[in-house]
Parts: sequence; structure tokens; C-alpha cells
Amino acid sequence: MGFQLTSKDYMEYIKLVYKKIHENREYITDLDAATGDGDHWANIDSGFGKLNEISESLECLSLFEQFKQIGKTMMSVIGGSSGVLYGSAYLAAAKVLKGKEAIGNEELCGVLTAMLDAIMSRGNAQPGWKTMIDSLHPAVECYKACLAENVPEEEILTRVKQAALDGAENTRGMEAVRGRATYQADKGVGHLDPGAVTMSYQIEILMDYIRSKS
Amino acid sequence: MKKIINKPEDVVEEMLHGLALANPAVKHSKGLGVISRKEKSEKVGVVSGGGSGHEPAHAGYVGKGMLDAAVAGNVFSSPDPERIREGIDQANGGKGVLLVIKNYSGDYMNFTMAADLAEMDDIEVDYVMVKDDVAVEDSTYSTGRRGIAGTVFVHKIAGAKAEAGASLPEVKAAAEKAIKYLRSMGMSMSACTIPAVGKPGFTLNENEIEVGMGIHGEPGISKEEMKESGEIAKILLDKILDDYEASGIEMKGTEVALMVNGLGATPLMELYILNGDVQAYLEEKGIKVYRTFVGNYMTALEMAGCSLTLMRLDDELKELLDAPSEAPAFRI
Repeated sequence: MGFQLTSKDYMEYIKLVYKKIHENREYITDLDAATGDGDHWANIDSGFGKLNEISESLECLSLFEQFKQIGKTMMSVIGGSSGVLYGSAYLAAAKVLKGKEAIGNEELCGVLTAMLDAIMSRGNAQPGWKTMIDSLHPAVECYKACLAENVPEEEILTRVKQAALDGAENTRGMEAVRGRATYQADKGVGHLDPGAVTMSYQIEILMDYIRSKS
Repeated sequence: MKKIINKPEDVVEEMLHGLALANPAVKHSKGLGVISRKEKSEKVGVVSGGGSGHEPAHAGYVGKGMLDAAVAGNVFSSPDPERIREGIDQANGGKGVLLVIKNYSGDYMNFTMAADLAEMDDIEVDYVMVKDDVAVEDSTYSTGRRGIAGTVFVHKIAGAKAEAGASLPEVKAAAEKAIKYLRSMGMSMSACTIPAVGKPGFTLNENEIEVGMGIHGEPGISKEEMKESGEIAKILLDKILDDYEASGIEMKGTEVALMVNGLGATPLMELYILNGDVQAYLEEKGIKVYRTFVGNYMTALEMAGCSLTLMRLDDELKELLDAPSEAPAFRI
């Protein structure tokens, strides 16, 4: 049997994400200053910071309740569009986890797919628009392909992580379709999208965490 | 900036406080931007809302026969899902809730998110999107057409249908029908100032107007020289009528509801003059005006200008339009 993430494990992962984001304040803020409002790091850091703070109360919940609470917390703490998009992602993922006690290989692909679908439909956005979708979308596509080809778990973790990181890196060449960068003459071309970068952190850490557990 | 306010950051809550004092039939959920009917009944709830600055929209349309709750965000920005969730709670009479959303990216995201949250708590929620502005296809704040003054007719139709005891799918169907036959088009003559910003968001020259400008001052179709009322009526109506034609909706020989809406700083005198010209032109086109509404229904703070809205009517829409409404900004 492959990996099985419990709700306690998931909060361990969330804490690692918070650490990584918190340590990268300058890098993310600099990326954002080039193309956006400059508030992405502060928003996302406050969201994961709050989850880190209340992790003890969340780790004893069922996965369904936990994801729901994470979604609501992200929505109210992060605020604005990012808050709603992350909130939507976690609420959609919660539905996938209803009645489940652990997240295995298949469930994880289902969770990431639900998150991607929720972000795309709520934000009315497509891959290639220089957003967080550009890291999550290739990761999900890669995951689905791996499952279809019966790729070994260990290898899946490596490939999905790489797809997310490559996806974020590819935003450098993309033109922004939404947001402040669209008003710039170069439409942000040449700059990484900070939302895609913080998304790639989350997928990278999730894959590394699962590897460290198995 | 000359405005009758206290602190710019308090304008929305203080406005709703004052509004509730002026209307004993409603209550104000303090800190949450929600105005709702005090009287609850077992029927489908109808909720609308959006950024503030469009008064009397949306709180002025709360009343028996129209909205059950209105949710206000900050000036020109969508309320967050928690506020909308409160509006849904206040409007919920156990038969489900319909959200009337104007098509702006922020409103869409926040209202549908609130709908998801409510569904997780086992409240049946559905929504309609109003996109009546024929001026531009995509805009600064929207993918697709914007929702403007025609939204008020959607409030009326959905509210009357709900009051008649219809189910959520039936209320939604009536609102969708109104939306299908709804077209609006506006023009601006001067800018407006968001209290927290303190200065106008754009400028128009002394003798200049912008045709098709949005209700947040976002760009329209063209800047032109100021014109006489008769000519303005033709420019706006031609655009609306062309759009009906492009959608394959026959207008000649039909009856419409007409709204001549002021954007905030245009005197009623001018709106009535415009109304005369609009009706003369509609008569020329063989379109009969069944019922006329002239006034400030969907404003943009103190912007000067107007919008015209037509809703083609059938028997059902006429009956729903004529049904009683106790909403202070739309009494029938």
C-alpha cells in the first residue's frame, strides 16, 4: 500500500508551507513589486500564518471538516481575490474527501484536480494567463498521466513536483491577461508570477513531505 | 473633496445605519453591510448587492415584493463572501435563496463563493448574472458585459415572483427571462470621487461626454462633444435597438418597460426632458412604452449622466412588474 496522509499529517505539511513562505518574504515581494500590487506575500503569509497558529485545533478534525475550515480561514484571513480562490480550492477539495480517513495516491490527484477546477471556474481564468494556475495545472496534468500509466509512486512525486516548478518558471515568458501587469507595456513578460511561485512551493513541499514519510 | 461624511472609512456602515433609521421595515446587520427585511415569510429569498456608491442600489430595493436582503461592499468594490453569507441567512425563509449578481469579476467570485458556503450549510442557493450594458463586451472589471441599471428590473421581477409563492427554479426562470429581454446603455458628463480616494478617478473636458462609460467610471466606447437631449436619446437607443436585432429579438410592435436613470448629479428636470425624447423616438420605431420609470435608480456617486434601460415585456413580465412593492426606492 502506498502513502496515506491523515488530517494530522496534512497540518504538518501546512506548517512546512508556512515556514517556506515566511522565509521568502523578500524574494516574493520583489517578484510582486515588478508586476503587481506588492501585497501577495503579506496576504499569503498571513493566511498560512493563521493556519499554523490554529493547527492544533485543525489536526483532530476529519479531513472533510479540516479542509472546510482551512478554506474558510484562507478566505477570511487572506481576503480579496486570492482569499476567495484559495477558499474555493479547499472547499472543493473538502467535497472530494467527504467520508475519507486518509489521502492516498488516487485521492491526492482528486484533491489537486478539484482545487484546479475550482480556481479556474471561480476566477474565470485559463492556463497560460500568468497566474497560480500555471503551476497547478501542469502538476495536475502530470499526476493524471502518471496514474494512467501506472507510474510508481516514488516517481510520481518527483514528476509532479518538477511539473509544478517548471510551470512556475514558464510564467516568465507569459503575458498577463488579468490584474495590474496587464497595464504594463510588456504585460509582465520577463518576470515570474508570484502567485505561481507560491503555488509551486506548496506542491513541492507536499511531494517532498510525502516522500519523507514513506 | 466636499462631501457630507465623517471618516471616509466609515461611509458604508454610517450610510446603512442612517438608512435603517429611515425605514422601520428593515434592519441593519452591523459591521456586515447587510440590510434585510424584518418581516420573515416562508418563501424564496431574493438577495442582491455589490459595491456601495450606487444608491439607492441596493439597500433601497429591500422591501416586500422586491429584495429580502441587500449586501453592501466598500465603495465600488464587491462585498466579501462572509457579508454575502449573512445576507443569505437573513433572506432565507426555508425555500431557498436566489442571488442577483451584476456581471463583474469581483462580484461573481464573492457571491458564488458565498453560495458554496451556504450550500455546505444545507441552504439551497442559486444565482442569476445580469449583463444588460450593451456598451462594451469586456471591460476593466468584467469578462463579458457589465451589469448596470437594468438590474433593478431583475430585482422587481424576481421579488414579485418569489412573493407570489413560486419555487426557487421558477423565480430563477422569471429572472432569467427578464435578463434575456433587458438592454441598457449609458453616458457620462463628469467624474465622481470615491470618498477614500479624495479626488476624481478621471476627467472629462468641459464640453465632453463619454458614451458607454461604466458605473465606476470605467471606459466606454467614445468621447464626444456634448449634444442635445434628442440626439443623446437616439445614440443610446440606436445602440440598444441594434443589439436586440443582433440577438434576434423583434422589437417593433412590442411593449417595453422603460427606465430613464440618472447617475447621481443629473437633475430630474434633465431626465424628464430626455424621457420625452426617448419616448418620441421609441414611438417612431413602433415600440410601445408600457410603464416608465424616471429617476436615480443605479447611480455612480455624484457622476453626471444617464442610462436608458428597456425590458421587452410579455404577459408574465407585465404582471410581475405591476405587482405591489414596498421597497422605498421602487414603490408600486
